[in-house]
Amino acid sequence: MEQFIELLNQLQPLSLIQVILWGFAGAMSFYFSLGNARVWTSISIGFFLVFLSQAYQLNPLAESYYKLSAFHYIIGTVAIMVITHGFLEYYVFCRTFEISGKKAVVYLVTFLILVASGIFLIVNPAPSPNTIRNIKMVENAIWVFLSFMNIELIRKIYSSIKDSAISKGFIAFGIVFLCIFLWKGSELYLQVFQWDKEWMEIVTLTGEDSDIALYPGRVQFSQMVSQYAGLLSSISVSGTFIYLYRLLK
Amino acid sequence: MFLLPRGNPLFENLAASKLKLPEVMSKLSTGSFTGYASFNFQSTTVILVFESGKLVSALLEEGNGNRQTGFEAMSALVQLMIASGSGTLNVYKLSKDLTMCIHALLQGEILYKAQELKLIDIKMLLEKIRTDHMNGCLRIYTQDRSAMIFYKDGNPLGFFHDGSHDIETSSTESQKIAGLPGAKIDLYSTQGVEELMGMDLLEVVNLQKIWDTASTRHQVELDKISNESKERDIKAAERKLSDLEEQVKNIVIEYVGKIGRGIVEKELANQGGNACLKDEAASARFIADIERSAKLLISSTKTKIMLEKLSAAIATAMSEF
Repeated sequence: MEQFIELLNQLQPLSLIQVILWGFAGAMSFYFSLGNARVWTSISIGFFLVFLSQAYQLNPLAESYYKLSAFHYIIGTVAIMVITHGFLEYYVFCRTFEISGKKAVVYLVTFLILVASGIFLIVNPAPSPNTIRNIKMVENAIWVFLSFMNIELIRKIYSSIKDSAISKGFIAFGIVFLCIFLWKGSELYLQVFQWDKEWMEIVTLTGEDSDIALYPGRVQFSQMVSQYAGLLSSISVSGTFIYLYRLLK
Repeated sequence: MFLLPRGNPLFENLAASKLKLPEVMSKLSTGSFTGYASFNFQSTTVILVFESGKLVSALLEEGNGNRQTGFEAMSALVQLMIASGSGTLNVYKLSKDLTMCIHALLQGEILYKAQELKLIDIKMLLEKIRTDHMNGCLRIYTQDRSAMIFYKDGNPLGFFHDGSHDIETSSTESQKIAGLPGAKIDLYSTQGVEELMGMDLLEVVNLQKIWDTASTRHQVELDKISNESKERDIKAAERKLSDLEEQVKNIVIEYVGKIGRGIVEKELANQGGNACLKDEAASARFIADIERSAKLLISSTKTKIMLEKLSAAIATAMSEF
């Protein structure tokens, strides 16, 4: 408990709000998935997993156990893949009107992937801070690419159902992915140029050189975009699911 | 057609459509029937005159006055019996002499036709009938009334007039009509009974073949009509189904938007086409599929209202199939 309180004290207020908001978004999306079709299950489970991936910031063990920290990032990667699968299914439905499969399969497959990822981490050596940073960079790269793809899918879905009641919900999802794209994109930008927090910690340990001091404006701007876009992502996801819930009630 | 004396009725008001002409002819022929058979259809009458089982004359008269005799009359009678589905047969037994006179009336030689009575010397005419030993029939008529006098060898056999059923011995009615202004006469003569016995239409007409051919042709036509009717029914049902499909699409579009058209088409295809709307179980499956898709697009409240509308539209249409 003491560890947890200490962790909370170390967290920036904005990051804490972000985690709490993702918690709310996760709860909303999970609740939304319970009474709806399979397509929504994938999307809402995915957003729930985003909360789990963000929750590492509140996990007192994540700092000590690198494998656990890595697992949070893997959950984040699985999250965007499951969300994309959901939007892809919705897009297929809009084009072919085909709805197939069972909700239980989505839950089960997602669970099995997470279990497999956990096993993968267990059987391999404990990741170094550099490895964890690499995993986080891969996660961000996948998020950026799939967010962009989801924006395009949402555009196509919207054009197919624009006269339906739910179409505005997809505009909201478009805003969500725009925020996520900026959030993860800015993080990836910092990582690619080795201006991110994790690299700075590695530099401190290894004594390597960093050119971060040469670009304070870019770094600061990217960090600000990352923080606020992340915050807006969680708010927009919560708002979108509340809006969808009211639309489909 | 003239009213004819009834003599001794053998059959009356037999349904012609249930009879087979060859069988009727065979019975009358083998029974050495003498008299006439009268077939009455809606606007056509056919008289067949028999002498000792021999068909000596056949006359068909249509409502418009057109007449056919002999083979043509027999063929037409066959057609009427097979195709009309209605009509009656009356068979009256008469004496040979009277039958001969009936034949004269129907198909005899016309000596006078619509001759105004006041322009001829009737006494001279009657005398000529007597002295020429004429066989035949003298018809005296006005616009409203008529009477007939049947002769054999120039001697009157009897008198027959409108309103009576049988031959009478009194000439009073005939004389009354003759005395009316505008009275006219027709005079028909024929050969004697013995000469008439020399001809038999049944020997020259292959009635069985005519009947079989006509029956086959009629059956073909019936089948054709039946097939056409079935095709019409199928097309009508298809049209109704198409209308229902369009109605269903409009309901779904009203609630879920344009995408509803595609959803309905796909779900109908999944159920094997719009014919599934006629089947209770299949239409229930169709509605369940529509519900599944609608849940992705609209609220559960709207889905419920839409499904109620769909069920009502399908139920109404089903009651009309």
